[in-house]
Amino acid sequence: MGKLTIGCFSSLVGSMNLDFAVKLSAAALEKGHTVDLWVSGNATMLSIKDQRAFKDYSSLEKPLKELMGKGLTVTACEACAEARGYHKDNTMEGFKRHSMDWYLASAFDADRVLHIGGE
Amino acid sequence: MKLAVFVSDYRNTVETLERLKPEKLGIILVGNGVYHATVKEKGNASPLLEKSADFYALSEDLETRGLSSSHVNSKVKVVNYGDVVDLLFNNYEKTAWL
Repeated sequence: MGKLTIGCFSSLVGSMNLDFAVKLSAAALEKGHTVDLWVSGNATMLSIKDQRAFKDYSSLEKPLKELMGKGLTVTACEACAEARGYHKDNTMEGFKRHSMDWYLASAFDADRVLHIGGE
Repeated sequence: MKLAVFVSDYRNTVETLERLKPEKLGIILVGNGVYHATVKEKGNASPLLEKSADFYALSEDLETRGLSSSHVNSKVKVVNYGDVVDLLFNNYEKTAWL
C-alpha cells in the first residue's frame, strides 16, 4: 500500500473537482492506501461545519466525516479560509487547518500526488 | 516518465497535451472530459483520441451524463474510482490535471 496526497484548488459548493477529490480519496482508502487531502482557495469552504444538505446539491460533510473516521486526513489552507471568513470556531470537527507547507510536506513523502487545479 | 493526465473538461483545443512527451501516457477522462470519449463532431471522434496514449473514462461521470459504455469510443476503457486508484499506483508515476 502507499500514500496518496491530493491537493484540491477548486471552486465552491457543487464543484465537480471537489466531488472528484473526495470520491477518489474514498476509493484509495478502500484499497488500503493512506490519503491526505488538502484544500485551498474556494475549496476551503469544505471545512465549514453545519452546511445544509439539499437533495440536488453536492453535500460533502457527511461523506467526509465518514472518511475521516476511516483515516482520511483533510486539511484546509488556514490563510485561504480566514481570507474568506471561515474561522476556527466555524470549522468541521476533525478538519485540520495549516499553512501551505503542510501540503508540501505531505506531497514530499507521498507515493503519488494529484494536484487538482482551480476552476 | 509514466504520466497520467486527468482531463476534466471538454475543449476541442488540446495544446497542453501536445507539449507533453512522457515515455508512457495515460489519459483519464473525468467530469465533462468524458465527452471526449463519446462526442462526434461532423462524424469525427475527438482529436484527443488521436494521441498515442492509453485512454480511460470514469464510469460514474459517464452515467451522470446519461452515457453508457455503448456510447464510448472503442479506444477508451471505462473504469471506476477503484480502477483509477490502481492505475495511479501501479501504472503511472506522475499525474497532471487539465
